[in-house]
Amino acid sequence: MTPYALTVDAGVRDVLDADRLLHRMAARLALPEDVFGCTHLVRGDRPRVAVSLALPSRPLPDTLRERLAEYGTVTPGLPDAVGRAVLYPGVPSLTGTMTVAELLAGSAIARVTVLGTPGPPGPDTRMVTRDHVRPQWQRDELVLAATPARGGALVPFEAPDPTPCCADH
Amino acid sequence: MGHGHAHGHPHHHDHGHDHDHGTTAPLPAAFDTSVPDEALNPAQRSRRTLLRRAGLLGAGLAAGTVLSTDAAAQPAPATGGSRGKGGGKGFLWLAGDHHIHTQYSSDGKYRVVDQVRQGARHGMDWLVITDHGSATHARIGVEKVNPDIRAARAAHEDTLVFQGLEWNIPAAEHGTVFVHPGRNEVSVLKQFETDYDGGVKGATDSTPANEALAVAGLGFLAEQVRRRKVEDALMLANHPARKGIDSPHEIRAWRDATDGDRRIAVGFEGAPGHQAGGLPGPLGPGGARGIYDAGPGANSFAGYPLESYRTWGGFDWMTATVGGLWDSLLAEGRPWWITANSDSHQVYGDTGARGGGDFAANGRYDDPVYAGRIDITQNDYWPGQYSRTHVGADGFSYAAVMDGIRAGRIWVDHGQLISGLDVRVSGGSRWATLGGALHVRKGTKVTLTADIALAGGPNWAGFTPKLDRVDVIRGDVTGPVADKDTFTAPTARVARSYDIAKSAGTVRVTFELGRVDRPLYVRLRGTDGNRTAVGAMGAKADPAGPALDVVGDADPWRDLWFYSNPVWVLPS
Repeated sequence: MTPYALTVDAGVRDVLDADRLLHRMAARLALPEDVFGCTHLVRGDRPRVAVSLALPSRPLPDTLRERLAEYGTVTPGLPDAVGRAVLYPGVPSLTGTMTVAELLAGSAIARVTVLGTPGPPGPDTRMVTRDHVRPQWQRDELVLAATPARGGALVPFEAPDPTPCCADH
Repeated sequence: MGHGHAHGHPHHHDHGHDHDHGTTAPLPAAFDTSVPDEALNPAQRSRRTLLRRAGLLGAGLAAGTVLSTDAAAQPAPATGGSRGKGGGKGFLWLAGDHHIHTQYSSDGKYRVVDQVRQGARHGMDWLVITDHGSATHARIGVEKVNPDIRAARAAHEDTLVFQGLEWNIPAAEHGTVFVHPGRNEVSVLKQFETDYDGGVKGATDSTPANEALAVAGLGFLAEQVRRRKVEDALMLANHPARKGIDSPHEIRAWRDATDGDRRIAVGFEGAPGHQAGGLPGPLGPGGARGIYDAGPGANSFAGYPLESYRTWGGFDWMTATVGGLWDSLLAEGRPWWITANSDSHQVYGDTGARGGGDFAANGRYDDPVYAGRIDITQNDYWPGQYSRTHVGADGFSYAAVMDGIRAGRIWVDHGQLISGLDVRVSGGSRWATLGGALHVRKGTKVTLTADIALAGGPNWAGFTPKLDRVDVIRGDVTGPVADKDTFTAPTARVARSYDIAKSAGTVRVTFELGRVDRPLYVRLRGTDGNRTAVGAMGAKADPAGPALDVVGDADPWRDLWFYSNPVWVLPS
């Protein structure tokens, strides 16, 4: 990945709350368009979700560190190499239903894998994005895990609205 | 087909028994061949029809298949030794469900008697009422539900109704905890919930301290049994892989929390409830089967792959994966059993709507009301409508069901794929059945035979399921693991598959294990053959296992499986 990274630990407990934190940062801090904003699971005595901001080829703006301090504890670098990307180049265009080829061409996602299926999906396979596409870093590549969906399409593994525990279902 | 009650077999016919079934009660009328069909009410008649199909009714049918030797009663290998029961007496195979919610759950709806009535109608012999643990439930519901449960016991004498609760296991998922009925059933559950529920104690995070609280809770239950506050108590983990928060070391810690022959935590759901969740829209919920739609979070075990968060042929990944987590537990040679339940909160297609009322103040919702339309957004089935847990019991009693569960005499099915299963592993003139261990001299020739009663009639979706294939799964017993987070078992594999040509009656599957020179176990699995895929450990381990369920397109009736618990073979 990149040495130009900052991690913010705001004590967030839930992954989707961490997504919202990253989106707030993106809205308020005028982040560069090619920034990667990821979530990282921090396990142990106080399980929580940290967020990171990174640029692949140049340092983050000097002022950013100070401004990020308003959100939580800022440390240089990344907590791990398996961040789940919320902000990444091309993500605003990943909406509705698109082909795997379009998804790969229009974003920083390098590969799509399908759970329970040995090979990669064909480029013409439809992906129902549900406007929620969260690839994960794997060996310096952003990889999107998907599962089969109705009518031969795929959906990203991660649902936008997973059922909470003891939901009113 | 372990119906042990043949004509002339003496059993306790003390009419006027109390409804707590403190000792072995009279057989339900449906089982009792001296009661003519005409004397049965509709629910009893329905139950008898199921028994007939399974070959479980009547001396002539039972004679050939009854599980009736000492070997059958052997406990799991960890406790070792044989526990003779005296010849001639077999097991009643009693169908049940240990995961059922009512209006005493904040996400529930039904009266206790609604669930018991529906369960009885759908062939359930035993049920456990498991409303969610919570501060409200600990304060109000756990007491208030008890008179409703006792009333349901009185109204449905042929159905054993346990009081339990759905424990928020500290640091982990939910689990069924239930006790033998008796004077202290409420007080023990209330104390347990107050002191050890993860929600009540704010102990849901996956931390070492919270994990220790879960183990302490199981110790508390064991202590209540030891002190005879309750006759028995059991815990089974529910939907274990749903959120990735039941780590392998926690499952092992629960298993090992209590020892001796009164182990409290004895297994987990091989298949979760909410099986209607994947019915396609617009006439179904269009979600994930089992509502398994989560992903990793900060509390989940880092080692679990994404595949673990979804169901496979309706079963939880821990059980569905040949060579996966369940097999890794069995390879240790220690008992850990699977079940299949409804998790019934709100039933797909039902016309009932939740009643009003202040749940926080009353500990329950008001009684459900008629909605005037069917509800196609719900994910659940009635107890017994789709998922069944069949327990080999030593009689019709609460204690016998609990003993059967603890002994692992359990097989499970979906959609009434089969109606009876009699497994014997024999060698050296002894034999053992599900959950048991066959002790033989090294080099003894060992044979597995499974008599399978096919569906023989329509299920609750209105068609007769067709069993297509039966797999024998075999794994070596390699002893306790050094790494408590182990979740693979490299030697487990499908040893042989049998195509089933018949569509009615019974079929016998015979598998020669050969001369056994090392400890191993065998278990069975069967399918309607509609959906299969190569298993996670490769084609050598499982060439045609369950396939990943498709989100929004998983009609559970078109993908049926049964699973048995294991039988061990232990050469000396």
